[in-house]
Amino acid sequence: MPSWLRRHRGLVPYLFLVPGGLWLIAFFVIPLITVASVALQEGSLGTGYRLTFNFGIFPDAIARWDTQLLRSLQFGLIVTVLAMLIGYPMAYTIAFRGGRYKNILLLLVIMPFFTSFIIRTISWKFILADQGFVLGTLKDIGIVEPGFRLIATPVAVIAGITYNFLPFVVLPLYVALERIEPRLIEAANDLYASRFQAFIRVTLPLSISGVFAASLLSFIPAVGDYLNAELLGSRNETMIGNVIQRLYLVNNDYPQASALSLILMLGILVSVFVYRRVLRGQELTV
Amino acid sequence: MTTHRTRTTFAILGLCLALILASCGIEPEDSPGSTSSVDPGDSGATDSAAPSQAAVGGGEPEDVLNFANWPLYIDEDDDGNRPTIDQFEEATGVDVTYTESIEDNNSFFGTIQPALAAGDDTGYDIIVMTDWMIGNMARLGYLEPLNVERDVPNFLENADAVYLDRSYDPGNIYSVPWQSGITGIGYNPELVDEEITSLAQLFDPELIEKYCGQIGMFIEMRDAMSLAMLYNGVTPSEATMEDAEAAQQTLLDQAPCVRDYYGNEYAQGLADGSLAITMAWSGDVFQLQLDNPDLQFVVPDEGGILWTDNMAIPKGAAHPNAALAMMDYVYDPEVAAQITEWVNYITPVPGAQEIILQHVADAEAEDDAETADYLRAVAESPLVFPTADMLDRLFSYKVLDEEEERAWNELFDEVVAG
Repeated sequence: MPSWLRRHRGLVPYLFLVPGGLWLIAFFVIPLITVASVALQEGSLGTGYRLTFNFGIFPDAIARWDTQLLRSLQFGLIVTVLAMLIGYPMAYTIAFRGGRYKNILLLLVIMPFFTSFIIRTISWKFILADQGFVLGTLKDIGIVEPGFRLIATPVAVIAGITYNFLPFVVLPLYVALERIEPRLIEAANDLYASRFQAFIRVTLPLSISGVFAASLLSFIPAVGDYLNAELLGSRNETMIGNVIQRLYLVNNDYPQASALSLILMLGILVSVFVYRRVLRGQELTV
Repeated sequence: MTTHRTRTTFAILGLCLALILASCGIEPEDSPGSTSSVDPGDSGATDSAAPSQAAVGGGEPEDVLNFANWPLYIDEDDDGNRPTIDQFEEATGVDVTYTESIEDNNSFFGTIQPALAAGDDTGYDIIVMTDWMIGNMARLGYLEPLNVERDVPNFLENADAVYLDRSYDPGNIYSVPWQSGITGIGYNPELVDEEITSLAQLFDPELIEKYCGQIGMFIEMRDAMSLAMLYNGVTPSEATMEDAEAAQQTLLDQAPCVRDYYGNEYAQGLADGSLAITMAWSGDVFQLQLDNPDLQFVVPDEGGILWTDNMAIPKGAAHPNAALAMMDYVYDPEVAAQITEWVNYITPVPGAQEIILQHVADAEAEDDAETADYLRAVAESPLVFPTADMLDRLFSYKVLDEEEERAWNELFDEVVAG
């Protein structure tokens, strides 16, 4: 250690933070400031944009896109609950009943990632097409109405997002459940707790950090998702991600798109803080 | 102590933020040198100045040519080579870099706009843009004026008269067509028990009731709005703001029965039976018909849209003479036929039809029935070589100024995002 560093020992932890800090500044802070700046500009691609500190854009954007903003939060919430209901039993089974198959089961959870999620979502579009393999057959047998469809409905969009983010829920839950000392559950049983009581009083509280991490990892990307709504939905499932994409790339309306991006970020942040309060101050760690 | 330090840090951060915010406006397209703020209303100034500028060209082709086009928009052989490009290189000695970098008019414009605004070379010598975008770019002074009489004689000799004087570029000062297509109605007779002839069968809420959820529309604002205008009896290129609002109402009335607003993927829906009646592009339906000959494309009685993608030279292009040589080359009927046989869109060169029929005869002489059948389908399809009756019912998009474009977008956004 050079002598100047020895004299300022307190600096060492900060030095370790430098690479990560620079990374954050280059790829998070500067882009964020740029987005904030663009949101406050007025003009068009042809005539150029001027910074006018047009703060009115935020209420305007919210008023114009309130349906889509609320719908995104609502879809995100439903997806998170669904993913938790499906993912918790999965993670529980792998952690406590997996035995020597644990690693294989975990591999199976990650398996879908070996294919691009765009390809997987598009294949759902084929599988569930109105006259496709599944619905076509069911319609021919007469189990479902000829006019029935899944694609272009909220069911398809929510199912698609849940399907895509399920592994993000299972993995942190698994890690949290895996760490639980089985003897604690045995002790609960010895003390005359029923299996249900043992789960509610011991297993669930001990896995709550995993629940917190898992729900954030599904909620945050789910709210911002646009691909599932794009591929599996219709106008009635338009999410805020689709609106932002359209404003940026189709309308070239950069200010409003940037404003909406910021509003979305803020909305997610607020939801996360509220949620954290509800779970009594859990940290975002597993 | 800690809180004090934190407060100082925040103060410094805040100051930085304000400084950065203030310094990062996006520069306008404005002439070099002038950095003062731009009056949004002065875009007309470049308009009047443009035609007086001297046309590029008149010289020998340069050594290289950078050609940006849309995907799958020029002939390719089985090895992935592009015969038209290869033959042009052989004939002229120009080294062509052909890229399929255009996926969308607006997003491509977004990528080259900063260079154009700064007065720099965009790196492309030919770009292919849809008619309304040609109109926009010409208005902004972003395209080099051409002298087609001198440099693109094949165009004047071989192009159909329909393409000579279009509203988006009167007199072909900035562009010559690459390929065209028709926006009309496609339908699947298996799911529709009547003949579709009218836009009412796409828009009238009562008539589409029984196909609810099987109606497809385009997410392309100009296509959807223009078709709704034709249904309302309005000529799209002369539409006013009131007409646009009426078109929005038409689209909103229709929306409850619309399955979705599509880009290119509507073709999949038409093929797999999800869509009974949909807005459609002629070239797509032609290709779908090769698999399912039952599928139909109609130009409605009220009219359809003839859109044209055009070759143009962006301002400041480094190799304008090579670009003009290429433009002239593809107007040779032999070359136009070769491209049409592969891309199946509407060629601006009607003479290509005869040459494709010639190729049919050649293929038959060689006993290649498959090729002969395919080429005959191309040559005889009204979707590739539209009849005079169809052409009579086709209209152009309106070239929108910025204010209109924003207003129309806002109207249409409300339609596609429910």
